[in-house]
Amino acid sequence: MNYTASRALALGEALRRTLGRPVEFVLVAGATAVLLGVGALAALALWRAGPLDVPSAARPQALVLAGGAQGEIDLGALQAALRRVATVASSEFVGRDAALSQLAQRKNLSSLGLAELRPNPLPDAFVVGFTAGAAPEAIEAAVAELRKVKNVESVEYQPELYRRIWLLGQLGSRLGVLLAAALAAALVIGVALTATLWGRVDPEEIRLLDLLGAEPAIVRRPYVYAGAISLLLAAALGWLLVVAASSWLEPWVSAAALQFALPLAPALPLVWAGVAFCLGAALVGALVASAAARMAIRG
Amino acid sequence: MHLERVEKRYGEFRPALVGLDLSVARGELLLVQGAAASGKSVLLRLLAGLETPSGGVIRIAGENLAGMRPRARAHLRRSMGILPPGGCLLERKSVLENVALAPWVAGAALEEGMRRARAALDLVGLDVARYGTAPCAHLTSGQRQCVALARALVNRPALLLLDDVLSALDETSAARIIGVLDQFSAAGVTVIAALRSAAPSLPMAMWPARARALRLADGRSVA
Repeated sequence: MNYTASRALALGEALRRTLGRPVEFVLVAGATAVLLGVGALAALALWRAGPLDVPSAARPQALVLAGGAQGEIDLGALQAALRRVATVASSEFVGRDAALSQLAQRKNLSSLGLAELRPNPLPDAFVVGFTAGAAPEAIEAAVAELRKVKNVESVEYQPELYRRIWLLGQLGSRLGVLLAAALAAALVIGVALTATLWGRVDPEEIRLLDLLGAEPAIVRRPYVYAGAISLLLAAALGWLLVVAASSWLEPWVSAAALQFALPLAPALPLVWAGVAFCLGAALVGALVASAAARMAIRG
Repeated sequence: MHLERVEKRYGEFRPALVGLDLSVARGELLLVQGAAASGKSVLLRLLAGLETPSGGVIRIAGENLAGMRPRARAHLRRSMGILPPGGCLLERKSVLENVALAPWVAGAALEEGMRRARAALDLVGLDVARYGTAPCAHLTSGQRQCVALARALVNRPALLLLDDVLSALDETSAARIIGVLDQFSAAGVTVIAALRSAAPSLPMAMWPARARALRLADGRSVA
């Protein structure tokens, strides 16, 4: 034990506190490392998925069929009127010729069928997209409003299907929030536990040092070092888990991104990200231990 | 050291100290006497800068204690030798480590701290060869008091603030400690020692004649 102003001695004291109980250290630092690793993996996954948009399949859509013969209605004005309806986010015009050529590309449609369609042409249509995540009631109200727009013959929309998808989405997002909150709470507790366990403050010792005139910064120093070291080691261990998991998953993620044309953000350089992660964790450990020691000094 | 109208109150309870005026010169030996809860310990804590007065001013060497920054107060405390009630020892640490803690805090090297600790323990009459490496938890209350006293004396401070200084000491040990304090005082160290008035086994006659007494009752100075 030494409380001189020497940083080297304070570091020695901190190491003694940190590594003096190896079994306890392995258990607590290991648990914190897993928490940190899972948190870091989740953050990396979010970062890589950042450019991804809501898949079109999950977006509610309706097909608006225009009435009247070709050339009789102003399609531009109709499209503008559709866009003015609340919750409508996009509208894509599908002309009768375009629809016919799309049908022609389908191999299983016989030439006879196409021949029948030509004298009885398809109507002009708009594929209307609604705001992603909008409530089913709001979309059904918008659909009713779309039906009232001039020159709209009919609107095709499947309310039941979207209601189911929306419910599943709501359930998924709430579960995600719950999981994220649980992970965040576990992370905070793990970090605080690790930082304060080895920087464990002995109030008697701190009061005595205060009595003897030790400067507060010097009294805190071994605790701050111990907090920083313990979280640095836990973070390093956690980052090893991140590297291992990333190496295992990366080929599959890359293949999936290629197969589904997903615009994923490029993978982070793991070495530099790891250095930043460990230094950040050490800083947090030092701050937590310093706060604990400061509270003990104030008594 | 000057105290002007010093007061200390803790919440709504009766004040611990009321309107205390006091001047203590360098090298003076002041005995603060009073029954339990008369304000002796509070006075010593205020003088050590461990608490701030609710009213009035305490000046040490011309400096207002209340206006000092924590770092300056810590620096000031390193020039004091403080004996808190009960000794305040680290139970699992050895006798030598407990005493050497004070020089280490003051910046002494490891060996220098140990050397000074041995000398201070000799001064208070504790056998270093026998007890030096023993944990403080294994000592008797009288021996613990000697260790705490040695820690207060070890840095040769300019001011000694000793609470319940003769507590748990037998007459021989008490006489020895009084002799040491007299030597320190004669060498220019200001000594302020709190004593319980109900200690008939250790009469005031044991103290040197030049010692001045301050009697406290219910936080007030009484004649």
